[in-house]
Amino acid sequence: MRVPARKTVGLLAVCAALSSGAVSYAARAEEVTAETEYTEKLPVMGAHWTLVATDNNAYTLYDGDKGKILGTVPADFEANLAVSSDRHTYYVATTMWTRGDHGDREDFLQAYDARTLDLTKEIAIPARALSVFKQQSLGLSNDGHWAYVFDMTPTTRVSVVDLHSGKVATDIDIPGCALEFPWAKGGFSSLCGDGSLTNVAYDGGTPKITHSHPFFDANEAPVFEQSPSDTKNGIAYFITYDGKVFETKLGPDAQPAASWGLTEAAGMKPAGRGVQEMTWRPGGSEPFAFNAAQHRLYVLMHVGNYWTHKDPAKQVWVFDTQAHKLVNRIDLPEVARAISVSQDASPQIYAVSGSNHDAGKLIVVDTVTGKVLHSLEAGARPMSVVAGM
Amino acid sequence: MTSRSVFDQFSERVTRGLARFSSRRSVLGAMGTAAVAQAFPLLPVARAAETSLTEFELKAQTKDPLRCDYWRHCAIDGVLCGCCGGGIHSCPPGSQPSPVSWIGTCRNPDDGKSYVIAYRDCCGRTTCQAPESCDCNTADRELPIYRPQNSNDIIWCFGTASQRYHCSTAALIGSAD
Repeated sequence: MRVPARKTVGLLAVCAALSSGAVSYAARAEEVTAETEYTEKLPVMGAHWTLVATDNNAYTLYDGDKGKILGTVPADFEANLAVSSDRHTYYVATTMWTRGDHGDREDFLQAYDARTLDLTKEIAIPARALSVFKQQSLGLSNDGHWAYVFDMTPTTRVSVVDLHSGKVATDIDIPGCALEFPWAKGGFSSLCGDGSLTNVAYDGGTPKITHSHPFFDANEAPVFEQSPSDTKNGIAYFITYDGKVFETKLGPDAQPAASWGLTEAAGMKPAGRGVQEMTWRPGGSEPFAFNAAQHRLYVLMHVGNYWTHKDPAKQVWVFDTQAHKLVNRIDLPEVARAISVSQDASPQIYAVSGSNHDAGKLIVVDTVTGKVLHSLEAGARPMSVVAGM
Repeated sequence: MTSRSVFDQFSERVTRGLARFSSRRSVLGAMGTAAVAQAFPLLPVARAAETSLTEFELKAQTKDPLRCDYWRHCAIDGVLCGCCGGGIHSCPPGSQPSPVSWIGTCRNPDDGKSYVIAYRDCCGRTTCQAPESCDCNTADRELPIYRPQNSNDIIWCFGTASQRYHCSTAALIGSAD
């Protein structure tokens, strides 16, 4: 095709413009370094970090100071998570079916590296108990040797997993009893339906089982399943629906000390069991937390009648467990159903807002100033875990 | 599975026993202690004769079973199957009723009498996504997991094809007075 001279000039102009554009792109390309994709790593677990059960079938790791997500640990149906005492490993006890809602059921204890969040070990375990989140369904020994997984089929057992060999070491029947509260070393105790404890001494070899005397009325004033522990020292604080605290050094001869009352520690009369007796009561899905270094017990407290042990609360009461005294009352910006508390000298409360089963916020509160540091749309379920619990 | 059939039998025994003897609390208490002391130390019979009413009982209604304050829901924890294509004692299509359950004792405000309610879960499908008003968590005389027959935190899908929780029902199984 013959190109008219006028058009030829025009084309040349376009070519020149294009080539000068290409030059300028090339020049810019020399100035910019192409980004490479990589995966973040985490430092050692911070004192103010918490893992919160979240909507997406996971535990979401938060930095409580910054109010930011640091990473995600996968966890399926009603999974429990525990942090190793050296903070190097997150253990998740979880349950899956090969085809989602059907197929073969598989139960695992999974180990995640706390710095890379890589799955490092996956240990098949017997069918664990499936219930609303309970920290007391999964425990670890302080020496890092054993994991205790509560099973219910519906007979009750605890599977003891050898974390060194990566195998289930033994299954221990705990008939009429449930959950596990690890000792400082070499065993765990379970709460029983007759108001006693079953104590299981096990450090390899043959388990030795003993029973405490009954110390609470399981029908009328049962001990909360979510009763907190000082895991390092193997001391449990068994708390009844009517607010009595039984401090118990766990071991083969575990025997609870004389009880003290939450409301009495606040200078009030004892909380009774009246169904029309409005008073301050503990309640929620995870209503208790304990800071061992400061001997402080944190309790979600609400005003209600008896049998409101699942009600959420807008206040956290802080008790000195040595003096048996209320030392602080911390207001929350909205009702919460679960709390945990960091284990350092400037503790933060991690509260999950809301009631029933809806997704809640993660509310971070400074216990020293009482200030709300963060209120985060977290899709949170009523369970948060910190290191050293 | 052996454990399944054993538990089925146990469940049937408990349920039939409750229906037959539920007016005789002392007999039940003794039976519970003697017969199943290890697994389930006491049978879940209500303190139906209590003179004062719980907060739930004071507010309970008998007209709308799709609300948490319906009288049978005094100790339910979960999504109401009636909101999910099922009913007060039926499972939504595709899901399976659990053969065992936890037990509550609820007062019907119309006749002032108490009844034993079996809260059976419907299983084998992922959790029903019903409105929040259908998601209930009441706790009259609800006990911890070491008293499993009275504990509503447990996923009761034992003995079903899959233990996936879908929703909860509230079947009437007998008088508690």
